[in-house]
Amino acid sequence: MLKVCNDWPREAFTDELVSGKYWNDFSVNAKAAAAELWRVPDMLEARRKLEELIESLAVKKVVAVGGGELPALDYLYDELAKRTELYTDKFDIARQAPQADLGISVAEFGVGETGSVCVDTYAFESRVVGMLPPVHVVFLDPAYMVRDVETAFEVIEKVFKSGYMGFITGPSRTADIERVLSLGVHGPSRFIIMAVEQGLERQVH
Amino acid sequence: MAAGKLRYEHEEHEQRNLHKEIKVKLKDGVMRDALSRFVNEYPAARLKAYDNVVSIDRLRDDLRDMKEWTVDHIDEVADEFEASIKARGGHFFRAKDGDEVKEILLKICEQEQVRRIVKSKSMATEEIHLNQALEEKGLHVRETDLGEWMLSVAGQKPSHMVMPAIHLNREQCAGFFSEELHEDVPSDIPYMIHTARRVLREEFLSADMGITGANFGIAENGAIGLVTNEGNARLVTTMPRIHVVILGYEKLIPKVRDAAKILRLLPRNGTCQRMTSYMTMVDGPTPVIYEKDGQLVEEERKQYVILLDNGRLRAAADPKLKQVYQCVRCASCLNVCPIWTLVGGHVYGHIYSGGIGAILTGLLNNMESFSQFSDLCIGCRKCMTICPGKVPIPDLIDELRSRYVKEHGLGLPEKTAFRHILTHRKVFHTLLRMGALAQKPVESGGFIRHLPLFFAGMTKGRSLPAIAARPFRDRTEELFRENPEKPVLRAAFFSGCNMDFVFPGTGESVVKVLQDLNIEVIYPEQQSCCGKPVLGTGDRETAKIIARQNIEAFEETKADIIVSACPTCAETLEKTYVELFADDPEWSERAKAFGAKVREFTSFVAECYRQAGRLMPTAGTEKVTYHDSCHIRRGLGVYKEPRELLKAAPGVDFVEMKDCDKCCGMAGAFGVKYSEISLPMLKEKVNNIKASGADTVAVACPACLMQLRGGLDQQAPDIRVRHIADILAENIAAGHSQAESM
Ligand code: SF4
Repeated sequence: MLKVCNDWPREAFTDELVSGKYWNDFSVNAKAAAAELWRVPDMLEARRKLEELIESLAVKKVVAVGGGELPALDYLYDELAKRTELYTDKFDIARQAPQADLGISVAEFGVGETGSVCVDTYAFESRVVGMLPPVHVVFLDPAYMVRDVETAFEVIEKVFKSGYMGFITGPSRTADIERVLSLGVHGPSRFIIMAVEQGLERQVH
Repeated sequence: MAAGKLRYEHEEHEQRNLHKEIKVKLKDGVMRDALSRFVNEYPAARLKAYDNVVSIDRLRDDLRDMKEWTVDHIDEVADEFEASIKARGGHFFRAKDGDEVKEILLKICEQEQVRRIVKSKSMATEEIHLNQALEEKGLHVRETDLGEWMLSVAGQKPSHMVMPAIHLNREQCAGFFSEELHEDVPSDIPYMIHTARRVLREEFLSADMGITGANFGIAENGAIGLVTNEGNARLVTTMPRIHVVILGYEKLIPKVRDAAKILRLLPRNGTCQRMTSYMTMVDGPTPVIYEKDGQLVEEERKQYVILLDNGRLRAAADPKLKQVYQCVRCASCLNVCPIWTLVGGHVYGHIYSGGIGAILTGLLNNMESFSQFSDLCIGCRKCMTICPGKVPIPDLIDELRSRYVKEHGLGLPEKTAFRHILTHRKVFHTLLRMGALAQKPVESGGFIRHLPLFFAGMTKGRSLPAIAARPFRDRTEELFRENPEKPVLRAAFFSGCNMDFVFPGTGESVVKVLQDLNIEVIYPEQQSCCGKPVLGTGDRETAKIIARQNIEAFEETKADIIVSACPTCAETLEKTYVELFADDPEWSERAKAFGAKVREFTSFVAECYRQAGRLMPTAGTEKVTYHDSCHIRRGLGVYKEPRELLKAAPGVDFVEMKDCDKCCGMAGAFGVKYSEISLPMLKEKVNNIKASGADTVAVACPACLMQLRGGLDQQAPDIRVRHIADILAENIAAGHSQAESM
């Protein structure tokens, strides 16, 4: 899948800038922005949570990206596909996303100051999975956190030469009618961050 | 189609009846409720968003410095941006005005066979009325920001840059939904949101072209940044096969990391969020998958970037006006503006509202429409305390106003009056004395309304002070007999017109307080009005004549300090005179020497009292609250000292009131010219005073004294309004003098 940077941890992260110690700030601010935070030990538990979600929302169609790069995700998607329609090919995603009930993608790192996740969405399909379905789940490694927006841009400037990327901070919202907060006006009304303690690169047995 | 039948409330060149428009807005209960609720909640919500920031001011300085550097290097930065876009395969254009943008865009639409367009909010395209032009050519154009979409259906302009539809309630919104969709839409907010999602989703999926503005454009790599909560900008830049960016030069920033400087402030000030839901950066053409001839294909999306001038480059080259580049369009200056919060955004005319709107209109649109509503800034400077880019809005308005006057002149009666009356002290003072004899406001058309002393049309809702039978200047001889024999200092008193002719008793108090500090007080007879009313109209030439007279009058006295108990005068004497003569080496030196001696009364006395150990808080029973005048709090930065004086005054139990530093609505000529706005401001102030439970409200400014006295007289006659000088003088008379307390 096309990305601004194919390997953020190696090319953009340094130990001074990126650390799990900002997780607490991140979680407080992400929740304040109406994001849902699911912290799980490993992919197995992530899968269980997703199966629950698919069950409870009666999800029929899922569009998902990131499997090509992360074998653990690939495996997870194969498993989920046994229960629901699941599309990972970009043309399939383009065709199916408008009717999909759930989109799944991956974030590169979190920002403590704001509760934002930084998403590398150079590929068309990675954008539509996050925008068209009413629920969006992003996978995140909780060790990949930066302190604030300033440090986030110190990371970004190392690799952002062209393409499409940004932050997502909670679900799509508007307050344009009487300043009443309403979620899901154009994008998802639920934004779920799946933080996998074990990291995303490790294989599931 | 919606925007095709745009029936804007007023077009920009039309001669407007502003008073009538204001009256309509003041009667719009829906809007008034919405705005006042918002305004009450905004300050605390904003601060909460900054809770986890060490220094807001440091962030503001960083942003300002970055923008300052950029505007000073705007050509290089723009060239680099252009090169970055082209290197990535984008098409780049520069447009000198709206017509050029339209020409470029229509050509693109023709070449690319565009029929359907989705837009995400862009002030620049509203500025040039882009939608109308596109629709006239038969193109289908949809705004996708919910607020903008409703307004385009309603044929209205946004009343706020961030919350365009804040003036509407849910019933009105439901009406526009129903009208546009030809179905009955109930005024249920979730239902309406869902409906908007359904309808606009179709638009995203079927559009050929997406048009966006940009919150920033990065020269270093050619990326543009878009900040939204709804996510519509993400869809506009993802679904259609063509992306057009229209951005003004002021949006350019040099480096990727400079974006952080905007992003740490803009969401917090704009929507009280630490970050908006979506912050999107698009850098060059990106892939798009769409259906072509019945088949899905993946291609590079075509990207066209149009950099709009429309007056911006001229502003960039102007040493003063270039400061508008520091604006990031967060609209928070409106949120704290006492005028906007009463009348909303529509009366400002063009697209940008509030004080910053007046400036942008002047620069981008034309000076005629600027001149029509530039008076709606009362110079209270509240906006300057929170603006992320530290744009000196009131100063820029002053600057534009004076340029306008220089070019077009003042109206005839005003011109005659200012030139011939205000510059001749004796004539002016004789007129004032005549006013005293008649004991009623002297009316004389255009001139009188600019003087704070005359009150044509001001009687409703407040009482008028009489002009004193014996002005201060006639009382000095007796007073100065009490001057100390061996003074520690020689102070020249600058009374200002109000204290001279309306509150001479307060002038006496000032003298007594100074004398009690063992200071000799003198009164240069040749002093006149400080010139602020003339400056307010933009007539700097006349103000210079007055300034020279005052400087000369005080130079002769050889006084150590110049004391003024009117903060507006003090600010004018200390700061504005120096600016007035910036290009005149001789007078510039004299103005600086003069200004260096000026002391605002309460801060000066507090300093003396502190040295003398007289600033100890005392416990009293009389509840006293304090109203900060705009000029003392934000013009001079003085707010602790008046409170310290009050807390130390025997018998006083000091209490704060809500919004203690919100303008009382006087603001010089404004209170007269726009009494319909000034009165509700006064009423709010009076309510806050009442709610504080105070018996007395203290002020440090004679203009506020006049306004508050007039208001309380009618609405709460039991509450007294007093200048701090009077409270201090009374205590001295009661025996709490310096000698005793030492
Ligand atoms: S002038 Fe300042 S406060 Fe007003 S919109 Fe611009 S940045 Fe915001």
